[in-house]
Amino acid sequence: MPRLGYDERAAALLVFPVVAVLLVVAAFPILYSFWVSLHDVVLTRPLRRPFVGLDNYLRVFADERFWIAVARTTVYTVVTVAATTVLAVLVALLLNEAFPGQRLLNALLLLPWATPSVVNGLMWKWIYDPSYGLLNGLLVQLGVLERYRAWLGDPDLTLLLIANAAVWKQMPLAALLLIVTMKAIPEDLYRAAKVDGAGAFRRFLHVTLPALRPGLMLVLVYETMISIRHFDLFLIMTQGGPGDASFTLSWFIYVETFRSLRFGTGAALSYILAMATFLLSYLFIRFLGRRL
Amino acid sequence: MRGMFARRAVLAATGAAALGAAGLGARAARAQAGGTVNFIGWSAAVDQVRAQISAFERATGIRVNYENFPWAQFRTALVTRLVGNAPIDVSWISDAWLPEFAEAGWLAPIDDIPELMKYNAEAAEYCTQSMRYRGRQYGLAYYGDHMSFMVNAELLQRAGIAAPPATWDEVVEASLRIKRQGIAEYPLLLSLAADTWLIEFVSALVFSHGGRFVDERGEAVMADPARGAVRAARFLREAIHTHRIVSPGAVETAEINGLRAFGSGAHAFAIVPTYRIRALNDPSQSQAAGRIRLALMPKGGPEGTNETCGWIRFYGMTPGAKNDRARRERAVRFIEFFGGRDTAGNYSMQKLLLTDLGLPFCTLPLNEDPEVQGFWTRWAGEGGGAVIAAQSARTRKKDVISPWFGEWVETANQAWQSVCLGRAEPEAAMRAAAAKWTELRRAFR
Repeated sequence: MPRLGYDERAAALLVFPVVAVLLVVAAFPILYSFWVSLHDVVLTRPLRRPFVGLDNYLRVFADERFWIAVARTTVYTVVTVAATTVLAVLVALLLNEAFPGQRLLNALLLLPWATPSVVNGLMWKWIYDPSYGLLNGLLVQLGVLERYRAWLGDPDLTLLLIANAAVWKQMPLAALLLIVTMKAIPEDLYRAAKVDGAGAFRRFLHVTLPALRPGLMLVLVYETMISIRHFDLFLIMTQGGPGDASFTLSWFIYVETFRSLRFGTGAALSYILAMATFLLSYLFIRFLGRRL
Repeated sequence: MRGMFARRAVLAATGAAALGAAGLGARAARAQAGGTVNFIGWSAAVDQVRAQISAFERATGIRVNYENFPWAQFRTALVTRLVGNAPIDVSWISDAWLPEFAEAGWLAPIDDIPELMKYNAEAAEYCTQSMRYRGRQYGLAYYGDHMSFMVNAELLQRAGIAAPPATWDEVVEASLRIKRQGIAEYPLLLSLAADTWLIEFVSALVFSHGGRFVDERGEAVMADPARGAVRAARFLREAIHTHRIVSPGAVETAEINGLRAFGSGAHAFAIVPTYRIRALNDPSQSQAAGRIRLALMPKGGPEGTNETCGWIRFYGMTPGAKNDRARRERAVRFIEFFGGRDTAGNYSMQKLLLTDLGLPFCTLPLNEDPEVQGFWTRWAGEGGGAVIAAQSARTRKKDVISPWFGEWVETANQAWQSVCLGRAEPEAAMRAAAAKWTELRRAFR
């Protein structure tokens, strides 16, 4: 093994503090939480925390609530990612064109993204409010609704309404990523397609979409990772309810860890969610990456 | 001359500052000599607590380190600190946490401290019972309250209803009448969001229907149609889906939002914590001010009672404080000053909490206090105090308080909400809640 030179040693010395900090604030909690997931840690029973191996994982899989949470999380993630991606593509197409006010619109687009998540959740909760909500007021004034209704109290709508709030916040960043990708598409390709008689839709299908592959991949992976772990909107808007209508995996982790104070099963659930996120991202890159 | 005056002024100012510093120093030294009590509570009555702390520090020379956290995060914050052996001497405790905290060894019993136990003789029985676990008492009351049935007298009058309904059937009948006359769309207001209040709201309904969640031995009876919670669950489902006298939005109505809605004057009946009567009849906070009156909890079904659900929050002492002689002495004096009589022999904290915030107390002698009687007359109307006293005598503590309550209530809340949404039959929902209770009870053994 070759001896390290002065420069290498100096570099290692300079990097060491960062590595040490990362080990303490990232690596240790990750390893410690895995250790916790193998023990029956209930905070209100501090004197006993026996090693239970994979029992916490098995208990989670046997829990009916876990499968409810998986179903809710799947619906929420699919709706959020699909809506965000489609809307982001449409907005990117619009803002990629030159028209008066385009720059202003570009700037305004970022406003929802810059809004803090908690503020976003509170804002939409007010909009949906059954007594004084903006949505009720608007629909009643337009004659669409006869009387105010409890939007978030309707279990068939709850997930979709939360997804709507999430899309409102997440779509601008996705659109921005796609606009950047679109700007890199050579204008010659469009001119050539026009010469070949391709209409706007065919130009989108055969020129824009293939060139958007890297951006779309990024948006899909990022939005999936964000949506599957979403928590703040659920905390603010519905607290997992009504009933179990918005009982997602991240909410289940919160309930198990911070309400039931079962840190063992909470940690096991967190690992399951982390693995699911990792697996989904891997599948996106492995299979969709080739086609897009 | 000018220079001399200037020198005199400087000397005078220095002297004054030195005297002031000496005074402050003496106060600090006195406080230091008295030691410190570490007290944590949730972010309620903060101004009143601070005022009482000042009075306590002046009277005893003991300093108080006071911290508070929002109620929603308080249990988790407290548990985390207790697990981490934080130096806490006294904390506010909810009756719902008592068994799990006592089992975890985070609370010290006080029944061997006569200075505190003497107050039981002057306390309401349900309050004392709510601070007991396995035969031992763990604190003195901060406040005790119960769910009250409240009516908007003006809406009743407009509908031609002479007296508040005495049974839940009469509530339905009166509500339908009010609805038919177009006075209110949803005459009965219930706050059924899945938060910490839900179990208290539904317990009040269950008790008034003559039901129980668990029997004396701790066995789940909530799914038993004859003596359980099923009748109350059925009432809820019919009120929302059949009679449509309760808004379907009740499942997303938190207690504070329910209070605002009732204060807007849009509802004729509501179940509300008693201490809210002041806010509801305060013109600066409520449009229905002056019209909200109290009535006994209506009876439900053939075995119905006027019983309601009560709760208590109390001052608990940690074992760390109790096992150290000096800390224990300070903590006992603090608890007595706040939960009992102050050094002048008055129940000053309880009276302050009532007159400032409307928080009811557990101390019976205060009922005779003319100021207290005047307070109830002012805010609850003529005879309001008597209704509160009568309801207080028919108040039961939650029968589900147990070491596994925190976990069970998550399932129970979902079950009640499913009933309200019409997604589960009352019997099936209560069976699910009962099964969880039995599972957790077995696991605890």
